[in-house]
Order: sequence, then C-alpha cells, then structure tokens
Amino acid sequence: MLDASTALTRTSVKKSATVAAPLLASAALTMLTGCRQEQMQRCVDEHNVVVDDSLCEMQPQRNPNGGFYPNPFRYYYGGVGNYFPGSIASGGGFSPVAGFEYATSRGGFGSSFSGRGTGE
Amino acid sequence: MRRIAINPRPDWQQKVESVGLTYHSPEAMAASGRTYWDESACYEFTAAEVDMLEAAANTMQEMCLAAAQRVIDRKRYTELEIPADAIPLIEWAWEAEPPALYGRFDFLYNGSDPPKLLEYNADTPTSLLEAAVVQWHWLEEVSPALAAASHVGNPDQFNSIHERLIAKWKDIAPYLNVPVYFAGTHEPEDMLTLAYLQDTAEQAGLSTQPIAMLDIGWNQGRNAFLDLNENRIDSIFKLYPWETMLEEAFAPHALATYREMHWIEPIWKMLLSNKGILPILWELYPNHPNLLAAYFDKNDGSSLHGMRNYVRKPLHSREGANITLVRKDSTVATTDGPYDGARIVQALGPEAVFNDAAGQPRYPVLGLWMIDQECGGMSIRESTGPITDNLSSFIPHYFR
Repeated sequence: MLDASTALTRTSVKKSATVAAPLLASAALTMLTGCRQEQMQRCVDEHNVVVDDSLCEMQPQRNPNGGFYPNPFRYYYGGVGNYFPGSIASGGGFSPVAGFEYATSRGGFGSSFSGRGTGE
Repeated sequence: MRRIAINPRPDWQQKVESVGLTYHSPEAMAASGRTYWDESACYEFTAAEVDMLEAAANTMQEMCLAAAQRVIDRKRYTELEIPADAIPLIEWAWEAEPPALYGRFDFLYNGSDPPKLLEYNADTPTSLLEAAVVQWHWLEEVSPALAAASHVGNPDQFNSIHERLIAKWKDIAPYLNVPVYFAGTHEPEDMLTLAYLQDTAEQAGLSTQPIAMLDIGWNQGRNAFLDLNENRIDSIFKLYPWETMLEEAFAPHALATYREMHWIEPIWKMLLSNKGILPILWELYPNHPNLLAAYFDKNDGSSLHGMRNYVRKPLHSREGANITLVRKDSTVATTDGPYDGARIVQALGPEAVFNDAAGQPRYPVLGLWMIDQECGGMSIRESTGPITDNLSSFIPHYFR
C-alpha cells in the first residue's frame, strides 16, 4: 500500500490545466424583448381553428420511410381575430411575412433527457 | 497493467472539487460504500503499453472512418436506424467536413491480450473533466509518493487532452462565428463537461455563451435558432445526441438549416456513435486483433454466427443501459433502461478483471480520447460487475 498523503511536492509539470467554475447556463441569461413590429402567430388546426401552441410543437411522428408525418396543426401568421382557442383565424396565411417579427418558440430541444444526463 | 491500492489524499473531496469535480460521491453509490471518483486505487501501465494503446486507438479511428464510408457508399442507413431525412445532410457533412472536436473509444484490456474495441462514443462523451484535468492534478500531488515508495521513478500520465482541445479550437476557430454556444441538459455532469469545454474554447480565443437545450428558440420569421436574447445562433457545441435531437420537435428546423449553421459535433458523427458501426467494422476487418466479432441482431440464432458468449446492445444505448450478457447460451446479466429498437450482438472479450485490496473483482474499461483524429489521453472506468454503467467509478492512472 502506498501512502499518497506524504511528500506531496510538485514534480515536473508538462501542462497546466485551467477549469472554469461551473456555469449555470440558463440562470445567467435573461430574455429581452425585441423592438421589431410583431404580428400574430397562432397555432391552428386544419379548419383554421385556433388551438394551443403546444400542438404545433408536438414531437414529429416518423413514418415507415423515415420521414415525418405532417403535423395537422400549423402556425398561422398575421390576419385578424384573437388568440383564444376555438376562435377562427383569417386574413393571414401559413407563411411568415418578411419584415415582421414572430414569437420565438422554445423547448423544441432538450425534453428527452429531462432529469438525466446524456453521458456515455 | 496493474491495479495498485493507494491511500487517498485525506482531503481528496476538496481537492477534486477545487478543479471542478462536484459529483464525486453520488447518492446512488453511497449504499455500496463506493464513490464515483475513486483514488483508493490507480492503474499502472508501462510506456510500451501506452504506446500500444495509443496506436490501437489511432488505428481504430482510421478503420471507423472507413466503416462510415462503407455505410455511405452502400446506403446502409436503415440498419443503423438513421432517419431518411438526415441522410442528405450526413452525406453533405461527410464531404464538407465541418468542424469536429472529440470522441472516446472504450476498450477492453487486461494487460496481456490485445485491447478490444467495445464501442465509440463519438458524439457526446462525458467524463472529460475527470480525464483531462482531475486525474492530472491527482498525479501532480501523488507522484512524489509513488516515486518514493516503488520502482516507478517519475510517473507520467497519458494525458494531453487539455492542450489538444485548445489547439483544436484554435484550428477550427476560422470556420466558426462567435459566440460559440454550448448547449446541454441541466444535469451536473453535463453542465460541468460543457463548462470545461467552454473554458478550453475561451483559452483558444473564442468568445462563448452557455445555453440550455430547452432554452434554444426557433423563430419561423427569421428562419433561425435564437438564444434567450433573440440573437441568432450560428455555431453551437451541443452535448446532446443527434439521434435524440432528430426525434424532438425542432428536428425539421435543424435539418432545414443545417448547412447554414455549425453544429459540433457534426451530424455525420451519428454513424460512429451508433453501435451499428461495430458489425460494419467486423465485416470490413474480420478477425482484426483489436475488434470483437459483432453482427446485427436479427432476433434469431442466425445473427450469432455460432457465438455462445456475447453481449446484446441496442444501437443507441448509453451508460450500460438495456444490455444483455450471455455466457454459454445463458443470460447471466441484464440491465434496464429506456432504449429499445434495433440491436447488435458482440462477442465477449477476454477477461479483464483485477482484484481490489479486499480481493473483490474489479472490471476496468479504458477510455481512449480522440481529439479530432488523434488519440491524446486515457481514462479508466471501473465496475464491480462486467457491465460498465453510470455508477462505475473513475480510477486515475499513470505510466512508467
């Protein structure tokens, strides 16, 4: 049995390693609001009925060919009406319009490893 | 290769914490009396063994690239469960060679038989901080005692990971736009691995920014991923597996914008981090001394090719999850886990078991770290059973 607790003097060093303190990633950042002109972005079903945004962010389902089944829920950009689920979106379209800022959706990555690490 | 019992430094917890390793004693291991960072022992190698292991890893790197080329040339993506919509981007990235950083081969080695490749963690390897920094600091402190108490002389360590990472960041910096984002989960090990990698990038002169994977935003109007300040993300290191990203909601956006961004590791690493690369390697290099026989599991006896001692692994399993170990046709160990889908079978390698001070068996697995294409260091995870998992201890090493 060797005793590593004695004679701890520094020997020849071929490198010196520096390690940052642990960084709490999300806590260090704050969300700032943009100053661009905003336009409505609503999640709708195939009848343009407004539904919860989470339905547009559902996990895509894979088809047997390796592609994705299209999500029946899509974002509807611009137009009139309101954000209430059940209301009808009209006057807009399914493509974002240049020059307008749309809400940024988050949470589309990272949900699969909730509560556990990715280590290997 | 020898396992040597050694007295831990009396204040080893504070020592390893001071260099960033806060998860040295997880609660899940408390009942066993073991710790994740375990300096009650170390492994000793000869310089010749280290040279041989380094050469084996560099050879495996070349062979793995050839195996990836085989997958691409023969369109064998289905066997690896690669989604069809990722294939054009894998092939594009394979040719364009966007920046890649690191990976870790896991080898079985017992000091006498040739080292055998178990798998390649090419996309999201962890235990990096321990390998690059913590075990180096350990050696700096214990080497006088090692030298005084044995024939060792001045012990050294196979470990230039830190310098190589900084050098690699400098090498790829011209291809990146700053800040380089570092994204991962909120798990301590992942966060510390990211913090360490972020530190190496900073030391290479790159400005960096951390972000949680969950906080990455997608803005349809700008057709871009955004940080929490609504700034566009261009260059991003993600400690998050590609195969998982491609099952999540932002997958179509990541694929649609892949060519306009810089993701590290690049998407072609999906080919190497996949256990399916092992049967491809065996096809290309049958009976290579550093390989174990491996085949895609067809759920019948034909895929065993007469093997009676083997391991069955899912293509994407991590940390020893969902493993079945078979000896003489009988299952002797299984592990639970969330991974299903296609599997491979891989022959059991030669026994690599070393007794601890109490005479109990310990099963080491050697991690050989690749910085881009070159091997630059070694680490050892040790288990009380033959399956390495997330409760396997990290044991430092030296060579003489």
